[in-house]
Amino acid sequence: MWTPLKAKKRAADIDRELRAHVELEAEEQQQRGLSEEEAADAARRQFGSTARAAEDVRAVWTVMWLDALRRDLRYAARSLRKNAGFAIVAVLTLALGIGANSAIFTAVDALMFRSLPFDHPERLLRVYATRDGVRFPGQGGPSPPDAHDYAQATRTLQNLVVYDVWRKNVSFREGDALPEQRRVGLITREYFETLGIRPILGRLFTADEAHNGSPSTGRGGPLPGNGSVAAIGAHLWETRFERDPNIIGRTLRINDELYTIVSVMPDVVPPWMEGGEHGHVEIWTPDPSPESWPESARGSHGTDALARLKPGVSLEQAQAELSLIAARLADAHAIDRNIGVLLEPLADTRVGTLGPTLLLMAGAVGLILLIACVNLANLLLARNSSRERELALRTALGAGRSGLVRQMLVETLLLSILGAAVGVALARIATAALASNHPVNLPQLDEITIDWRVLAFTILVSLATTLLFGLGPALTASQIDLADALKQGGRGHAGGSGRRLRSALVVAEMAMSLMLLVGAGLLTQSLVRLQQQGLGIRPDHLLKGHFYLPPVHYPDGPAITRFCDALTTRLRAIPGVVDASVTTAYPPTNGWAQFLIIPGRPVVGIADVPTAEFGVADAHFLTTLGIPLVRGRNFEESDTATGAPVGLISAEFSRRYFPTEDPIGRRIHIGPPPFLRLGGGANTLDDADVTIIGVAGDFRNAGLALRPAPHITVLYAQHPRVNYGFKDIVIRTASDPHAVAPEIARELHKLDANLPFSEVQTMEEVIEQSTGGQRLTATLLGSFAVAGFALAMVGIYGVVSFVVAQRKVELAVRMAIGASRVRVLGTVLSQSMGMAGIGVIVGLAGAVAAQRLTRGLLFEISPLDGATFAGASALLLAVATIATLIPGLRAARIDPARTLTQN
Amino acid sequence: MPSQTPRRAELLQGTLDMLILRTLLFGPAHGHQIAKHIQRTTDDVLQVEHGSLYPALHRMERKGWIASSWQVAKGGNRELRFYRLTSAGRKQLLHQESRWKQMATAVARVMWPA
Repeated sequence: MWTPLKAKKRAADIDRELRAHVELEAEEQQQRGLSEEEAADAARRQFGSTARAAEDVRAVWTVMWLDALRRDLRYAARSLRKNAGFAIVAVLTLALGIGANSAIFTAVDALMFRSLPFDHPERLLRVYATRDGVRFPGQGGPSPPDAHDYAQATRTLQNLVVYDVWRKNVSFREGDALPEQRRVGLITREYFETLGIRPILGRLFTADEAHNGSPSTGRGGPLPGNGSVAAIGAHLWETRFERDPNIIGRTLRINDELYTIVSVMPDVVPPWMEGGEHGHVEIWTPDPSPESWPESARGSHGTDALARLKPGVSLEQAQAELSLIAARLADAHAIDRNIGVLLEPLADTRVGTLGPTLLLMAGAVGLILLIACVNLANLLLARNSSRERELALRTALGAGRSGLVRQMLVETLLLSILGAAVGVALARIATAALASNHPVNLPQLDEITIDWRVLAFTILVSLATTLLFGLGPALTASQIDLADALKQGGRGHAGGSGRRLRSALVVAEMAMSLMLLVGAGLLTQSLVRLQQQGLGIRPDHLLKGHFYLPPVHYPDGPAITRFCDALTTRLRAIPGVVDASVTTAYPPTNGWAQFLIIPGRPVVGIADVPTAEFGVADAHFLTTLGIPLVRGRNFEESDTATGAPVGLISAEFSRRYFPTEDPIGRRIHIGPPPFLRLGGGANTLDDADVTIIGVAGDFRNAGLALRPAPHITVLYAQHPRVNYGFKDIVIRTASDPHAVAPEIARELHKLDANLPFSEVQTMEEVIEQSTGGQRLTATLLGSFAVAGFALAMVGIYGVVSFVVAQRKVELAVRMAIGASRVRVLGTVLSQSMGMAGIGVIVGLAGAVAAQRLTRGLLFEISPLDGATFAGASALLLAVATIATLIPGLRAARIDPARTLTQN
Repeated sequence: MPSQTPRRAELLQGTLDMLILRTLLFGPAHGHQIAKHIQRTTDDVLQVEHGSLYPALHRMERKGWIASSWQVAKGGNRELRFYRLTSAGRKQLLHQESRWKQMATAVARVMWPA
């Protein structure tokens, strides 16, 4: 065989040979009487150019090699065409393994491993606050005053910043018909400094530009004398400001106030860092500077926090130091009792709770690749085994061993290349499908493109398998005894070791398929149960939307109430609308809790303080959402803004805090007990003593998977201090909610032309979004199970067919001496069902071993659920039986006479 | 007759192969010997273009009709590559010889009909 080393040696030999010839010729000429010189000249002239001759000789060898390659390719193509079935299955198997793997590993890499686009991303941390060791729901960062204290005291952290994202109405040009609702980041300059992001144009905010303010004024309202400034993202600059080179100094309106643009920032902050279900944050405005947060904000944990480690400091050191500081704060401030702090590397927070899911996916896909390789190996082994006769003959007729091997190599490579090509196409399709169907809480999936390293890796693995099992037998083919091979009657020997290997491979395939099936079955059932969770409301025909009433036009509670009442009245007048309610509370998650003081419940420490999920709504809350009233009465028109404050509690609230008594008529106080009170400010209600007038049914307010938490709802009209301009509205419609949406938007517009009606979804869509991650997982795992299953079935079918073909003679003999067809069928069946049985047992063992992987993902179903295990096993055995029956019946139909005479 | 440069007949590639094989039937030889033998035997009518001799030799070696080995020439101080006929080459020679005869007979029939 031709190798570069050989070629070099050959070239040297050729030169030597030609030189010798020239010398001999010169000698001869000398003998004829010419002088030495003349002789040499004559010789060389007669020779022509030695170099050219050498070239020609060398070309002989090269051309022959190319010729051989061409010949091999043609032969390979022909042979593949003749065995089209085998070729198609092999190519598809390869393609599936490569395609699926590349797509999933690309996604997992993009979600979990790709490095963050910041300076020294490994030093960036997310900071969370904990109570009794448990993280707060939602953003859950330390309160701004706490964060400020940490930042002042720390020696291990370089920066610690607090940031938040609010929805605001933004207009980019004067005279824009309707503002858009945009997410605006509230930050200090330190935010960008911590991340190491420098502006493309302009400058970062100065300390002076930080707004003084407290959360209750809506944050972002400028005080007189403070110029309001904003930073915009590069994409916004290009699309809304036409890349104006004089962008610095231009203005935009946020909530009807003028902001001057002072910088353009690159769009490097990924959406998941800023709670990004709705895309990138593209506008930033200054937040109050850390020292200007009021003390009353010390109890609020509704912001995010970032930190950067100092070089050379480890996470553990920083965590230890911060926990110490937290303890000091807990001593100094009652509200910080039991409040701790948790640091996590930023990179680890990328996928939230989906980490285990993704790893499960990666494992599943790895299994698929393995099954595909196993199948491929089996296919190749079977095929090569049946070609032994052909190979033996060719050897006898003079084909060199190296020639044979080369030809098989070409054939195998051709197969691999075809498989890889289809695999790449499949990978692109799968990646695109993932990108367009990503669940809402994995927005970073929409930017994934194929990772070429992953593709290369899977192609290599597949190639290796193909080469190993395609060539291995070929390399031993030359050792076949020709006589033996011919005697076997053309089908190769039912070789002992070969068959054991193949059987083992099939057993492995079945086991892996079973594991995938079990996993998919568990996840699907879990998903179904999750989705069947009683929501507590009637989710059909409900539309949800959002609008924001800026303080500039709606400066106080009564103004907001007036607007909302006017709006809901108008909306109820629309023919397609059954009811409407402005409310903060609806499933699946509430996210706003309050401390309570319930007379008659003594409180010793902070752990005893009753809490409840807190909602602020209007009188149509229960009817619009379809929540049943269990006791007492609903809100009524008589519960006016100036009347006595009333509240509706949930059934769980009643069970927990009034287990033995009737809650109706009881007065409770919404707010923290005296020892936790900080005086005025955020989130406290005036006249916070509320009379309970009714008990309503529970609805999901802590996510779909957890039991509903106690809930209390009050009227925003009666509590101006929590009557914020951010309003969600739910509307019950008579027909398709989306059809009525435009009319609702129109009514809103009529009341105030500057209010966009945004985040419009049906309630069903909202619920679906919250299970998006689980649905993706179940769907993916389901597809893998199907793919693995199909591959395993093909594997079984292939092997059984092959065995039947090999044993044709033996079976014919048996039938000839009297065995019935049924017995023959039985023989075939029993052999393969034996394999299947072992496969099932191994698979079940594997599924049990893998339970830790799935446990965290399952809802109300055990990872060892017997029914699922049994069902999957039964399915596998059933299909394996069918896959065996086909060749088995063929075996039973053998005509013994014909078979025996044929061979 | 004054010594004219003998007309050099152009040898078809296949024919050259046949001649080389025939030459080697006598026994192993190196390239120079083969060329000289053909030249002498045909009285200088056929002078093998040495630029075509070696490509032909290597082509035939590739096909397995001849085999080569480096040996020290008789009474010599240099190593030369000697070629010898293989069994496949022998078969090929017979095959080509019969084809040549067929061809010659056919051509004769056309040229000199009897």
